[in-house]
Amino acid sequence: MREEDERYFARIEDRLDEAFELARAAKAQGHDPKTNVEIPVAKDMADRVENILGIDGVAERVRELEGQMSREEAALELVTDFVDGNVGDYDSREGKVEGAVRTAVALLTEGVVAAPIEGIDRVEILENDDGTEFVNVYYAGPIRSAGGTAQALSVLVADYARSLLGIDEYKARNDEAERYVEEINLYDKETGLQYSPKDKETRFIAENMPIMLDGEATGDEEVSGYRDLERVDTNSARGGMCLVMAEGIALKAPKIQRYTRQLDEVDWPWLQDLIDGTIGKDDGKDDAESADETDSDEGDEAESDVAADETSPDEPEGSVRVEPATKFLRDLIAGRPVFGHPSAPGGFRLRYGRARNHGFATAGVHPATMHIVDDFIATGTQIKTERPGKAGGVVPVDSIEGPTVRLANGDVRRIDDPEEAEELQNGVEKILDLGEYLVNFGEFVENNHPLAPASYVFEWWIQDFEATGANVQALRDDPTIDLEHPSVDDALSWATEFDAPLHPEYTYLWHDISVEQFDRLADAVAAGDIVAAEADGGTGVGVDADNEPEGGEQGTLVLEHTPGVRETLEHLLVAHRQTDDELRVPIWRPLARTLGLTDGRERTWTLDDLSDRAREWDAGDNAIEAVNEVAPFTVRERAPTRIGNRMGRPEKSERRDLSPAVHTLFPIGEAGGSQRDVGDAAREFGDSGKRGHVSVRVGKRKCPDCGAFGFKPKCEQCGGHTEPHYECDDCGTVVEPDESGRVYCERCEWDVESAEWQDIDLNTEYRNALESVGERESSFKILKGVKGLTSANKTPEPIEKGVLRAKHDVSSFKDGTVRYDMTDLPVTAVRPEELDVTADHFRELGYETDIDGDPLRFDDQLVELKVQDIVLSNGAARHMMQTANFVDDLLEQFYGLDRFYQMEERDDLIGELVFGMAPHTSAAVVGRVVGFTTAAVGYAHPYFHAAKRRNCDGDEDCVMLLMDGLLNFSKEFLPDKRGGQMDAPLVMSSRIDPSEIDDEAHNMDIVRQYPREFYEATLRMEDPDDWEDEVTIAEEYLGTDREYTGFDHTHDTTDIAAGPDLSAYKTLGSMMDKMDAQLFLARKLRAVDETDVAERVIEGHFLPDLIGNLRAFSRQETRCLDCGEKYRRMPLTGECRECGGRVNLTVHQGSVNKYMDVAIDVAEEFNCRDYTKQRLEVLEKSLESIFENDKNKQSGIADFM
Amino acid sequence: MPLETPARIVRALVSRGYNAEREAVTLIAGSDDPGVTLAQVVESVPDDALRITADHVRGVLASTPEADPPEVEPASGAPEKDPSVSPATPADQTEPVSETTPPEAKGSWSGRNTDPALRSLEIANDMTGQSTGTGEYDDFVKVFRDRYEKLSKMLRGRVNHRPAKAISKMSGGEDAELVGLVNDVRSTKSGHWIVELEDTTGTFPCLVMKDKDIAAYVDELLMDECIAVQGTLSGDAGILFVDSMHFPDVPRGHRPNTADRHVQAALISDVHVGSQEFMAEAWDRFADWLHTEEAANIEYLLIAGDMVEGVGVYPNQDEELDVVDIYDQYEAFSERLKSVPGDLDIVMIPGNHDAVRLAEPQPGFDDELRDIMSAHDATITSNPSMVTLEGVNILMYHGVSLDEVIAELPAEKASYDEPHKAMYQLLKKRHVAPQFGGHTRLAPEELDYLVMEQVPDIFHTGHVHKLGWGKYHNVLAVNSGCWQSQTDFQKSVNIDPDSGYAPIVDLDTLDMTVRKFS
Repeated sequence: MREEDERYFARIEDRLDEAFELARAAKAQGHDPKTNVEIPVAKDMADRVENILGIDGVAERVRELEGQMSREEAALELVTDFVDGNVGDYDSREGKVEGAVRTAVALLTEGVVAAPIEGIDRVEILENDDGTEFVNVYYAGPIRSAGGTAQALSVLVADYARSLLGIDEYKARNDEAERYVEEINLYDKETGLQYSPKDKETRFIAENMPIMLDGEATGDEEVSGYRDLERVDTNSARGGMCLVMAEGIALKAPKIQRYTRQLDEVDWPWLQDLIDGTIGKDDGKDDAESADETDSDEGDEAESDVAADETSPDEPEGSVRVEPATKFLRDLIAGRPVFGHPSAPGGFRLRYGRARNHGFATAGVHPATMHIVDDFIATGTQIKTERPGKAGGVVPVDSIEGPTVRLANGDVRRIDDPEEAEELQNGVEKILDLGEYLVNFGEFVENNHPLAPASYVFEWWIQDFEATGANVQALRDDPTIDLEHPSVDDALSWATEFDAPLHPEYTYLWHDISVEQFDRLADAVAAGDIVAAEADGGTGVGVDADNEPEGGEQGTLVLEHTPGVRETLEHLLVAHRQTDDELRVPIWRPLARTLGLTDGRERTWTLDDLSDRAREWDAGDNAIEAVNEVAPFTVRERAPTRIGNRMGRPEKSERRDLSPAVHTLFPIGEAGGSQRDVGDAAREFGDSGKRGHVSVRVGKRKCPDCGAFGFKPKCEQCGGHTEPHYECDDCGTVVEPDESGRVYCERCEWDVESAEWQDIDLNTEYRNALESVGERESSFKILKGVKGLTSANKTPEPIEKGVLRAKHDVSSFKDGTVRYDMTDLPVTAVRPEELDVTADHFRELGYETDIDGDPLRFDDQLVELKVQDIVLSNGAARHMMQTANFVDDLLEQFYGLDRFYQMEERDDLIGELVFGMAPHTSAAVVGRVVGFTTAAVGYAHPYFHAAKRRNCDGDEDCVMLLMDGLLNFSKEFLPDKRGGQMDAPLVMSSRIDPSEIDDEAHNMDIVRQYPREFYEATLRMEDPDDWEDEVTIAEEYLGTDREYTGFDHTHDTTDIAAGPDLSAYKTLGSMMDKMDAQLFLARKLRAVDETDVAERVIEGHFLPDLIGNLRAFSRQETRCLDCGEKYRRMPLTGECRECGGRVNLTVHQGSVNKYMDVAIDVAEEFNCRDYTKQRLEVLEKSLESIFENDKNKQSGIADFM
Repeated sequence: MPLETPARIVRALVSRGYNAEREAVTLIAGSDDPGVTLAQVVESVPDDALRITADHVRGVLASTPEADPPEVEPASGAPEKDPSVSPATPADQTEPVSETTPPEAKGSWSGRNTDPALRSLEIANDMTGQSTGTGEYDDFVKVFRDRYEKLSKMLRGRVNHRPAKAISKMSGGEDAELVGLVNDVRSTKSGHWIVELEDTTGTFPCLVMKDKDIAAYVDELLMDECIAVQGTLSGDAGILFVDSMHFPDVPRGHRPNTADRHVQAALISDVHVGSQEFMAEAWDRFADWLHTEEAANIEYLLIAGDMVEGVGVYPNQDEELDVVDIYDQYEAFSERLKSVPGDLDIVMIPGNHDAVRLAEPQPGFDDELRDIMSAHDATITSNPSMVTLEGVNILMYHGVSLDEVIAELPAEKASYDEPHKAMYQLLKKRHVAPQFGGHTRLAPEELDYLVMEQVPDIFHTGHVHKLGWGKYHNVLAVNSGCWQSQTDFQKSVNIDPDSGYAPIVDLDTLDMTVRKFS
């Protein structure tokens, strides 16, 4: 580790120690369930794994293996240790398999999540029908938190252990295989799966899987067909098993294959079929769907190979293309627009590169595009994408090209300025092209996706140019020449003088027009007139002043306005202006030259001069070969890969409040109304007739010093620290917890709890609490408690903490901490300026130089971000300040200690420590605040996110203020149920070890430039793994001095929070508004098939809503309007049996048919297919039949005529 | 065989406009198949003849090919003997007929009796066009009150009902009897059952001890059915200890009505035209067979719902449709319907795949669909409906509630393999779909059309695509199979449908035969 990295971590740890010291002093006072801070600091991952599993020797062995191999390999290596008995103390074969599987899951999840303990129940060895033995792994729901890869590998590990132990494979009976099919469908319907395997896929997996996957019943809903099977204990869906099979094996097949290939003992040849998506293809009926399947992820590898096979003489030739994939369009949601249909022209153009706020499951989009799509995309908005992954968080990158639009005034132009985009938003008639879409190389590595053909862009061209004899360095140094945006003269002369393709600036999208259109355009251009450039241009016709060298004697090319030529120009993305009669093209020389015209615009060729190859290229739909035959220079395909996508989740930056919000984890039962208002509860007369007395279940505690009983951690008699008191309800024996924490009464043979019903004088407790912290009731609006406690010992929190939380308007999560949620986004280099801080602040934080090594002096210098530094959204910063003030008051007014934060202004947060923590995990990561952003996201180093086991594909997680966690978190508050340990900081990592984080982050590329050969390789759709050596990825530096630094990027961006602050999805009001906007945008976008969108909205939203509500209506519950009592069926008395009040329906006509008319209108307007219209018709008739009286039909005026 | 009686032969001839010599009648009655002979005689007599003579008959008998009729009799001869309630599989009982029917049989046979004077078809309980519910809370209350009123009436004779409210004011230890809708069934810690009954005054808990015989009834209870209990109030008068439990039920001595001539009805359902799995060939064989002499006595065809596969019945259904357009589906069905003889009287009710509301009672098809299915002027009525054919009451119900009965009740009481047993339960409860709030959907109407006010002689359902029949207290319960082969969905839930069967009921004896056409 470099010295400066040491200094950085030492700084963080010093502040941590400082906080710990103060927190310990506070905790020692005994007000809390425990007398010490309950979040231990973990040394390394091996420690965490061993502690989580409780298997001795694992940590040591893990550390041994770590240096030598990847974690996955280590997990497999450990199988041998378990089988040989070198690790773990297992005698039985079941135990050995179980130990190996648990360890593998723990290791793959970095000892961060609870899945290894809670997600795997047991391993059994059972008998096949042929008398051989097989292994059965029994999963439970929390295996979810392990993620698909670890789930899938757990099966692989079990199989490896099985083969080493000489146990046979599982041979599924036919009814068991069918049971898997039915059950996965059931689970998918009830709970939902990220990936729903087709029946055939499930059956195929079940038949080939060498391990039986079994599990705990997780739902109430039972399968109806394959019930009461001998080897399946339950008729309910087994959630854990379904996850492992669908999201593990089926979804992660390519990843598992990597590891099966490394093992001689394990052979899963059937994975290939799964990856190819050939399962279910032979069946005619499934064809339509399996085609979708095939396109997914890796599926297109096989097909693209065919496409790439240019040597075949019989096949008409064409350009290499990736196959369109439609999967991302599934489950389209109303109000979340589609931006591009699969690989549709006009959609996002793939550009390779990594911006500084990019990589790790993100998508770089031009901020102008964000505005042009009616502000539906903001920084952090998730998009579901066609490739290379499934989803990504959007980041603004303005060093790529923006959208091309046709405005109402006839201008067709590209917009590269976000402000201009915002201004022109309303004038956009058609969005002809969405602009570029930046994807980094590492993304292809991570998703194991073949490289898709690259757009021809500046960074590629300049390398082509350098490869010729041109003196590029001299041109770079020439202040009159702009290499990236050259003048027409420069571009044309470079193209003709040197053997480099035409500059991308003047390369149009020839592959999007047909040879015929090409020919007609050549005619039109040859026939056009040149007029002097108009002065009235006003808007400049898409030409920036500084790159418009035209005019003068060259003038503007005026073509006759025909629909064909207009469309051709639009599809080529040639900037021009349309009037009723004319098409005016100001920059026309590169166009004319590419069309094979002379300088005098004379045609020198006819269609017949073209070779067959050029004419038949892509069946004549692609003019690129024709261009290259007639143009005097090479012209590359400008945008061979278009990427379809749609909006996923909106970005998030919100405080996390329980519902209803909770200020204090103090139980008040039904008192205090639905708001659980502690103040009201304290004033109310309860059942006992005494003011403010509530009867609640709380833990009985005993003071070891004076023997007094009570429910508070601090003895009210002597001030000692009390302990839970366990007394058997039946026999009265006082029992002590055993080593494993279990409290068991031997005599009555049951578990004993400390919780009991107690009558608490809430009024007194509340008044005392107010008094003890010196606050009045008027210092807060409302103090909300909880109905009851869900923890094992039901230990309540001191009300004082709630009083102070209420005062500062922060609320508590189930574990006592205050949290703020934000969408995760990565950033590897920042400018102090854009974070609303100064270079001074940064220097104070230990930043000394900018990315080029120059001393940090100015606010706009680009600085490489340190791994644990994070940027808070403005909302988060405000909330953290409130929390800091709460914590300070708590220290001062409750614990009687010094204030810790002394927050006066937002800048005081800079340098403060927070915990980052993701859902489903149990470990927090310490982060340091370095700045603020207007975007509704949490920007941090990708390694910080990876340490929390998050990537940035729209995931969100939370931050907590360090001191709040130390003071207020207690395991005693956690719910006593499966999964209760999740999302709680059971342990913290004080420093990130890059080797011990989710390895997804290691696949991020960290170079300044991709080599020219790489771009060429994309045209051959090569395997990204072959390019890891040429394009350095972060993995390269693991374990070296450079592991914390040197994260270079290929593209800069002006502002990491550019574009709209919030997605229109969040600013638009009702669902109808959102949907209207969605459909409106669908019409504007050239890349979107609006009928398909309307169809999907109806199918996915309106119809399920209508059908579901109609179903709900005809079997609904009813509720008393007065007392709230619910009835399964309408009482025969008609009125409430409890109070005699008015009973009414819970589902009314209004809620059933609220979307009926809209749905019909949309179906009509967007010309949906008859099937959809008829479904609506049938439903409408049903509604009429139910809600209209046949004998009293509403009659129209026609009835009286 | 009915035509064997001379009186009937005379009547049959009269209905065709002929008188007959006594000897001619005797000759017809003595022939192998009087029905066929009669038809042939009628066919062969000169147009101007008014009186059938013995010579006419002899001429016909002499010209009749020897081999003609016998082989169309099922080899087992079972249908005539004792087909009903037989546990034997349908395939055992009959033969596939189509191959054995010589084509000339059609030609040599003159057609079925079409005398309107003989036939009678009445519909009761049709609520088509009578739907007055507007989906208000009060509508729901009304329909349940109507249910309670109708069903409790059936039980009043057996117990001396006291209102729940009155019982709650009685003192401990007294005997009490109560009729109510089952509101809740729960078990106590010690394994006894508490059945909460509700009448129009309120609810009262009734305890059924687990060791009593009647505890077995608790397994059969569905929510919202109507039962009566007799028992003793507990010491604190808070609960009733049940000694006996009564269901509305079909009276044991129920004597079914029969037709007074030999006439048959074919009971089918679940045609599912439009589905890729629709068995066109089987249907064609069935339709062809109906044209044969063997089917001469079949004068009625009842179709218990799911004429077509429908649209949007389940997700992505369009991918499995042969005919995607719903109107085209009904057109196609209408074409199929045209292939059955035009002289049949046809009754159709909708099912859950049809384009009518799903909530029950389902009104009959609307005018648009009626226009499409105008072939043979079929009678269209609501689901359920009571159809009376020549005095025989046939309750037609599509059968969606069977799913629920089968799911809720123990397998020996109701299963997909024996759907008629599930039907017995409905007969016992005298309600086609008692349970509210679960699987079955209810549309609130003024009356509870789902109550079996009148005991049917035949109870005809479909929906579960399984063939099963049997008699319950002399009521013939028939669940007709379907005309759709196994779908992917059925495969995934392990249902093996009985496809291509046509149950045929003799309306004069209520005996049943099953014909297989697949």
